[in-house]
Amino acid sequence: MTEAIISVPPKKPGTTLHKLRTREQITGYLFILPALIIILVFGLFPIGYSLYMSLFNWRVTKGAFVGGKNYLLIFGSWTNLLITLAGIALIVVAFWIWNNAFKSLNKGQKAAKIIAAVILILGGVIFVTGWGYMYDAGNQKFLNSLIVTLYYALGTVPAEVIIGMILAFLLYQDIVGKDLFRIIYFLPYVTPSVTSAVVFQIIFSLRETSIANTIIGWFGISPQKWRFEPKPLLNLLGLDVSGFLSGPSLALVSIIIYGIWAFVGYNTVIFLAGLGNIPKETYEAAEIDGASRAQQFTNITMPLLSPTTFYLVLIGFIGTFKSFNHIYVLRTPSAGDSVITTSLLIFDNFYKANQYGVATAQAIVLFLVILGLTLAQNKLIGERVFYG
Amino acid sequence: MDSVAAKPQPVVTITRAKRSRFYWLGRILTYAILIFGAIIFIFPFLWMISSSLMTLGETITRQLLPKVPQWINYVDAWNQAKFSKYFMNSVFITLGTLAGLLITSILAGYAFGRIDFKGKNIVFGLFLATMMIPESVTLIPNYLLIRGSIIPIPGGTWLNKYWSLTIPFIANAFSIFLLRQFFAQIPKELWDAARIDGADHLRFLIQVVLPISKAPIMTVLLFGFTGSWNAFQWPLLVTTNDTWRPIMVGLWSFVNEAGPQTHLLMAGAVISLIPILIIYFLTQKQFTQGIATTGLKG
Repeated sequence: MTEAIISVPPKKPGTTLHKLRTREQITGYLFILPALIIILVFGLFPIGYSLYMSLFNWRVTKGAFVGGKNYLLIFGSWTNLLITLAGIALIVVAFWIWNNAFKSLNKGQKAAKIIAAVILILGGVIFVTGWGYMYDAGNQKFLNSLIVTLYYALGTVPAEVIIGMILAFLLYQDIVGKDLFRIIYFLPYVTPSVTSAVVFQIIFSLRETSIANTIIGWFGISPQKWRFEPKPLLNLLGLDVSGFLSGPSLALVSIIIYGIWAFVGYNTVIFLAGLGNIPKETYEAAEIDGASRAQQFTNITMPLLSPTTFYLVLIGFIGTFKSFNHIYVLRTPSAGDSVITTSLLIFDNFYKANQYGVATAQAIVLFLVILGLTLAQNKLIGERVFYG
Repeated sequence: MDSVAAKPQPVVTITRAKRSRFYWLGRILTYAILIFGAIIFIFPFLWMISSSLMTLGETITRQLLPKVPQWINYVDAWNQAKFSKYFMNSVFITLGTLAGLLITSILAGYAFGRIDFKGKNIVFGLFLATMMIPESVTLIPNYLLIRGSIIPIPGGTWLNKYWSLTIPFIANAFSIFLLRQFFAQIPKELWDAARIDGADHLRFLIQVVLPISKAPIMTVLLFGFTGSWNAFQWPLLVTTNDTWRPIMVGLWSFVNEAGPQTHLLMAGAVISLIPILIIYFLTQKQFTQGIATTGLKG
């Protein structure tokens, strides 16, 4: 009996190969198993579970099923959301027509541009109307946090990219101590954000002798409250504007300054790599054709750097919409909602207010906003990028 | 970054004669901007070090430099302010995370790069998808997970436990992706030769692949190290006492709990920065290059 069990069935043709293949498969699965378990449990499962949680009245423990109510709380009503989205869709259509009008050099160009402009204005009006309805009926704190996040993104990303490009361009020459400059520029990016934010807490403190107040004092400006100032910067400068146009509060401006300081070095390094990829023969050829340095910059460097620029703008926007650590450290209670970006609001709703269901719904909306921005940037800026 | 040094030199030499008048003006302006930038970037660091050596009184009156450097501040921060505890916690958390990260990402990176198995591309795609999801989305379910609220876990809850700070981070899509790209480029002939000698995948990986993969593994280690050392949001959530509180949360809670003891706070900030600085200056070229080629933004 025992012999019968142990005995191996006679080999059929092709079995060895088949066995080898099976072993290869098993090895493959075994090799990815440890990573698969971790990523499945802590990376993929939470996405589905977040969606699930967002459908319940979940406060610390699971409550009643409420369907889309947590989402509805954000927008006020589905109609409001639809109007706002319709406005965005029209704006996208307008840009699409505009782009195509540039491509085709026929008679319809002018007409297409006029149509595009009309649709753009219409889309803008519808978007603003829808947003107004949402703001009246929906979660003002959440919608406000989106505006704060947008201020933060618009305040940091363009400045980072432009300063980064200038520094990279200057460094990309015959400079003494080039490596030292690069090491110093990159240092703020390498520094843990909590460490540097703790230092900036004190730089931007409200004391009259704080570093920030000392520096503006050189220009004859009276001491400011910086991180503790919820008033918009433009109002402090004496401009009488309100609403979206009044811009970020001085507290948020402090955080924006920190953000620029921390991330310029990253942009510089990426631009340096981009400059290194431009073949020098291109410059030599232009030189022979008699192109000046300025012409070389606008006709060679700028277009060939456009993929790098695009990449940095995209990654910068995504980064600002996700950023948490330094804003959490730099915020003050007296600055109020003026520095609460969406990531912070979600964290507060979860951690302080224990509104798990509401917080997960808001997190999913934030993700969709980031996704939408990424796609829009891909479509709008991406098409103008020159990839050689 | 060596390629950066390869500047289109001829351009300058040809034009120098033509515009020597503006040449020196341009040079001076260039250096002025670069030096101004460097001062702005480095000033907060110098000021942090300077403040960490002041007396409490000097930090309040905002002196630029301490009269007598108070080295005792570092001793006080290390002992009284418990930065020694937070620092060692961070060291253990980082070492544990890195050990796990190396094993999981080398094995998975190798499998994705060099072994054919069914569903490989789907699983790899799912892994990559996790890189796009913001932390806000995964944070809450993960918190419930490690508290044992979703499924029972060994030990009941991982709140304030070592495991909650390491286990979720011992694998990530980015490291796997980075290693996969490198492993996939290794010539097939090497594998064929090893197989004839009777080696299986694991032996080939350890004896042939790893010795030639020092650079990408180093990059994974660097990113893993900074990610783990700098972590803040998650540890803030899962540590409610000092047992496993890492240095970044310790630094933050010191601000709130100890009040305006700026000199000790700055000493703590310097302490929290030292390991990162050492690693950065030692591996500076590779560090910068790793970021430039992978284009990762932290």
